[in-house]
Amino acid sequence: MKKIFLIALLTIAALSCKEDETQIQNPGTLNLTFENAVGTELLSLGNSYTNSSGEGYSIQELKYIISNITLTRKDGSLVVYPPGQSYFVINEADANSLTIQLNDIEAGAYTSMTFGFGVDPTKYPIESGTLNFIPTAEEAGMLWTWSAGYKFIKFEGVYTIPPLTGSDPFRIHVGSHGANLDNYREITVPLGDDIANTDFTIGEGVNASQTIYFDVAQVFDGPNTISLENASDIQVDPVNAPLIATNIATAFSVPQG
Amino acid sequence: MNKLLYILVIIFFLSCGSDNEDYAAIEDEDLSQTENPLLDFSVPSNFPDSTYDISQNPPTEKGFELGKKLFFDGKLASDGVVSCGFCHIQDFAFTHHTHITSHGVNGLIGKRNAQPLHNLAFMNEFTWDGAATFLDSQPIIPITAEVEMNETISNVLSKLEADPNYPTLFAEAYGSEGITSERLFKSLSQFMVMMVSANSKYDKWERGEAVTFSEDEENGRILFQSKCASCHSGTLQTDQSYRNNGLPLDPTFNDIGREIVTGLASDRRKFKVPSLRNIEITFPYMHDGRIASLEDVLDFYTDGIVNSETLDPLFVQPDGSLGLVISNEEKTQLIAFLKTLTDTDFLNDSRFSEF
Repeated sequence: MKKIFLIALLTIAALSCKEDETQIQNPGTLNLTFENAVGTELLSLGNSYTNSSGEGYSIQELKYIISNITLTRKDGSLVVYPPGQSYFVINEADANSLTIQLNDIEAGAYTSMTFGFGVDPTKYPIESGTLNFIPTAEEAGMLWTWSAGYKFIKFEGVYTIPPLTGSDPFRIHVGSHGANLDNYREITVPLGDDIANTDFTIGEGVNASQTIYFDVAQVFDGPNTISLENASDIQVDPVNAPLIATNIATAFSVPQG
Repeated sequence: MNKLLYILVIIFFLSCGSDNEDYAAIEDEDLSQTENPLLDFSVPSNFPDSTYDISQNPPTEKGFELGKKLFFDGKLASDGVVSCGFCHIQDFAFTHHTHITSHGVNGLIGKRNAQPLHNLAFMNEFTWDGAATFLDSQPIIPITAEVEMNETISNVLSKLEADPNYPTLFAEAYGSEGITSERLFKSLSQFMVMMVSANSKYDKWERGEAVTFSEDEENGRILFQSKCASCHSGTLQTDQSYRNNGLPLDPTFNDIGREIVTGLASDRRKFKVPSLRNIEITFPYMHDGRIASLEDVLDFYTDGIVNSETLDPLFVQPDGSLGLVISNEEKTQLIAFLKTLTDTDFLNDSRFSEF
């Protein structure tokens, strides 16, 4: 009798163990590498570029917040990366920050990825896991000191308006404005190759990799045109900040073919 | 055979346990035996629903005590002295009397008057300009502001980790090791959401308990409804909007108010309509503490309002004159009513006292 009881207990124990393990069954790793670019060339801090308004600019600092990563499986189901671990500062000046390592992603075929640009202000901070992101954001200078809010992008440098040769600083900080204006954007990029019809696969115990381009030129020249002559110090700017957020929402892409 | 089975069972349970971090699992078990009962956060019957999502951060005895210790600890500031409780003193409904605007580290002076802390679980946004949209993130502002506590959250965490007591207190409050910013802010919130002030004479009157208003108090209450309650509405005397009440611009501070949060010129010099709970003892008044007494506040509303582009239209009379029309007798009655909002139970509640 005792023996049967023990066997039953053992079975229960074994089953409950197995249940625990299903959460990280066949885990693989996905490395996302963000490559900041100006048009078709990779960005170099300090290089000179020209926007469509004919203004010359060079970039001294480029940082932005990526959050809330969700992967879409080939069958359409979603894999939500744990929210508490899903906040990252991408800093052009820090090569280590350009690659995000997503651990314990279930192996399989995936078709697309959605991520947040900035911090979703509609989510309750505890639920969204942002409270533990505060020290990281603070160290990167991505908190507004007078507010409990985040700078989603910190984009600074100098610009010149030809034929003048002198340069003036520009400063673009876009975030949400309290509960008044939400500049958070969700962005979806494809994974894999639609043209060749190949799947993007994350294999068990394997590090899969995906490059994501961010074309920073589109901050000025996306669906909206932003001229530095008109606005070179964009911080809590209720007119230009949402225009830039919209430009950024279409500035991310993945390599084709 | 039986012995073997027993061993197998033990191995199975151990192997399950090792899914978690090895020794943390054992400590979790010890900590789960530590008593940490939930505290009773209940909404007074005359109050609106709470805006704070209690289910996300239910106050516990240990979490509350930890939040209280943090609230009164100068470690949260760069100079080790200016704690939250430095400017938020319980006797004055967690405001400061001798300072007109708040004093911070290095003798620096802020441009705003410390707001009272009570009934925070019922507020939509925080600070005079609504720069914090959640209570859990509000402390970032005073902790990091140069003229307040001038510290970084990372440094605060390091100081707490190096402290002989905090690691244990955090573990006891949350059931596992670790001092994180989430736990820091959750603890402060647990302390602050419990600060419910709902036992003033006015509350008892609202709830139909055995109190009677004097003639002045009752007349004041009726006057308040017609003269003040369009902004100071509801049980908490605030519609939680931002308005320009016609204070002359102080060039020392040149404070643009809510415009700093929204960037909108239409929000220039607007500040949150404050709750009037415990107003008798939260002087000095206004966002910059420029008015010392309730009499002077009412005199300002009748005779001191200045015009500007964003002045609230409620202060413009049909004939174009500015200010509210209130007689001296009515002012006395209004003040009598305002004093019924004082909650001495709250001011003396030992749960919130530093010592």
